[in-house]
Amino acid sequence: MKRSLKFSTSILALAFCAGTAAADTYGPFPITDKSYSGDRTNSVSYTGQVARSILLDSLKSLAGKADGGANAAETKATMMKYFAGSDEDLAILSHNSKDGFPIKQTMLNEISKGKNISGKTYKGLVPGWPGNMTGVEVMEHLIHHASMSDGGFDAEYGYDYGQLIQKFGLGAMAYNQAVDNYLDEKLGADNKPNNKPYKDGAAYTGKEHSWDEAFGYFGAPAHALTLEPTQAYNISKKKDLAAGDANGDGMVDLRTEMTFGGAYYAADADKSGTDYLPTITSAFLEGRKLISSANGEALSDAQRAQLVAYAQTIEDEWTKVIAEATFKYAGSVYKDIEKFRADTKNIDADLYRAYGKHWGELKGFAMALQTGKENLGGTAVRLNRLIGFSPVTMDESIVTGIDADGNFVKDGKMSWNAYQLNMLKVQDLMVKEFGVEARKNDATANLADLIKELDSDSGGAETD
Amino acid sequence: MEWIDLGFGLFSDFANPKKRLFFGYLGLSILIAMIWLIIFRKTPLRESLARIFDRKVFFSGSAIADYKVFLINRLFTGFISPLLLTQVGIATAIYMALVRSDLTWWGIYSDASKTLVVALFSLAMFLADDFTKYLVHRWMHKWPMLWSIHKVHHSAETLTPMTVYRIHPLEGILYASRSAVAQGSVISVFYYLFGDQVDLYTVVGVNVLVFMFHVSGSNLRHSHIDIRYPKWVEHVLISPAQHQLHHSVAEEHYDKNYGAALALWDWLFGSLYVSEGQHDMKFGLLASERQSATELSTLYFAPLREIYQRLKRNSARSVRFVSKALREK
Repeated sequence: MKRSLKFSTSILALAFCAGTAAADTYGPFPITDKSYSGDRTNSVSYTGQVARSILLDSLKSLAGKADGGANAAETKATMMKYFAGSDEDLAILSHNSKDGFPIKQTMLNEISKGKNISGKTYKGLVPGWPGNMTGVEVMEHLIHHASMSDGGFDAEYGYDYGQLIQKFGLGAMAYNQAVDNYLDEKLGADNKPNNKPYKDGAAYTGKEHSWDEAFGYFGAPAHALTLEPTQAYNISKKKDLAAGDANGDGMVDLRTEMTFGGAYYAADADKSGTDYLPTITSAFLEGRKLISSANGEALSDAQRAQLVAYAQTIEDEWTKVIAEATFKYAGSVYKDIEKFRADTKNIDADLYRAYGKHWGELKGFAMALQTGKENLGGTAVRLNRLIGFSPVTMDESIVTGIDADGNFVKDGKMSWNAYQLNMLKVQDLMVKEFGVEARKNDATANLADLIKELDSDSGGAETD
Repeated sequence: MEWIDLGFGLFSDFANPKKRLFFGYLGLSILIAMIWLIIFRKTPLRESLARIFDRKVFFSGSAIADYKVFLINRLFTGFISPLLLTQVGIATAIYMALVRSDLTWWGIYSDASKTLVVALFSLAMFLADDFTKYLVHRWMHKWPMLWSIHKVHHSAETLTPMTVYRIHPLEGILYASRSAVAQGSVISVFYYLFGDQVDLYTVVGVNVLVFMFHVSGSNLRHSHIDIRYPKWVEHVLISPAQHQLHHSVAEEHYDKNYGAALALWDWLFGSLYVSEGQHDMKFGLLASERQSATELSTLYFAPLREIYQRLKRNSARSVRFVSKALREK
């Protein structure tokens, strides 16, 4: 109740401010830092976060290049450059130009230099993955196995490493950094204050940059509020140049015009009627306006309280976006198993591959959900037990852990039936604990369809 | 244009095989009545026709009230149709409760033969529907407040197929809710056990068993054609004569034969009354309860008035009881 009150209050505040706002684009904002002496005129900067989103997406592309063992060492070395950083200028592998959709940058240094993922990855324990590892260690473990896989897939365990790395990374890096760091302790009065530059010589104050960094991790294009969900979604799919090219230079600038990670999944859910993307983006934009309005002075307690309210909206909604994605892919896995059931002895290889992909997305998001600010407690335990350490594989066996060398141990058994039921329970958990509303791939939709199809009004109102 | 639509809307039941008044079922009922009168009752053809299309029945004040109530109630169906959504809600809630429970039967029969699943489901839907009709109908007679509502139906002094719609709108809502609960429960339990295999055997979109009920003359239940079945059959299926007897004013017929299609429930719960070949039964309410069979205002408002007065009496009684109890203390 308190939460929803706070939420609706901030929506109201947003609606009010939006009416008077000059622009609905995130940036440019003027320089307010009094000590700045350079010639920049825009205090907005989040290119480092954009670079990290690209590094993460590029890792997924790299996993797809593994050829079943022969190039394992080389693949692993390359992947580690993208994960842990490199002195070289790395190529952008995930967002390349295509016909009708030119992209401005091809190399990471054109966006930001010297960035890595590992330094910004969740340091806490990840109970959803075997081996009692931290977020960083889980990523390294996944990279290690990805490099030995066949095009990113390991049929024996049903793992799609590219999906696991990317989806878990959306939580362990982006979501965690934003909600548990920039929108959390960095909103404190003495942490990165607004009357000092973020670091010496910077064109932005402490609070300005903290806020921008969080926005960068969310991954929305700066002009997201002018877009329909489908447009924001299609930019990421490299399908709608007009929607992406906000400045009209005929190409998409990855620094400000692309839809990444969290924003992409917000838009995906919004296609089913929710409004995560505009709600989160508005909260970011209004927060940024508020910081800018302080004009380089320290924020008052009231201003900070308002900022914290915006941050709370962002955290709540972003968490729901991840829960929506978890719900969606639990539904995909459910449907995949439904297809297998016709003949579980002869499962089609392509169907099984798709199942592995969906499971990787499901598992990645489920683990991502546990890297936020709140401890999910029993919900996390339940979620991890329902999904398990691996999908049910061809012979109905499942991974139960890893051995001392980090190899998977697959000595558990679970029936297709039981696992399909678990998927239903995962969806139920997302509804009950997170109140997801978009509910893509709702597994109970079949039941609703059945009832509508039967329309068995056998004289419902006929009385005798 | 809108008036034409409304006109079609009002009479759409006659073209809908899911409804008892579907013209095909009405036609078959006439045929069955002819066979009954000519072959079993040895009535000449002309006389049979005259008897079936008896002006005294179809143009009686009671029957004309039936037609008016039918048309007025059609306007209420807009309120009742959202119940399909309610059915989805009920079914999903029961299904998810089963999913969340510790039962481990989810989908355990999803590999069962489709033929068997569909046959079982069709039967279960029919039985659940028919049994809950029996049950709710019985309550309508036994509970005074529900009886106030159901009396509208029993005030009919002549029976025509249209009498099936001679009901108070509240009864319509109650019956539609019953249907949502009964079918929602069966569908969810079957879906829980059998998964996506679940389906109905249908003819013209209707559960085959319901279809059989209709083609075998369901419309004759509300008519003056007293078709009887052999005694043993009347223990299983309700004959038209048995239902007409349910509408009889005679004391011994009171509170008997609540069943819709099956007589089994009446037999099982002691309310069965097999037909005895009584001719020219008098239909309607007991003299003590008689109210106008033709006044629309009585049909629609008397039940509300009675319920209000009963509630008032009951609350006054409770107040007296409580104050007396307090005084004694």
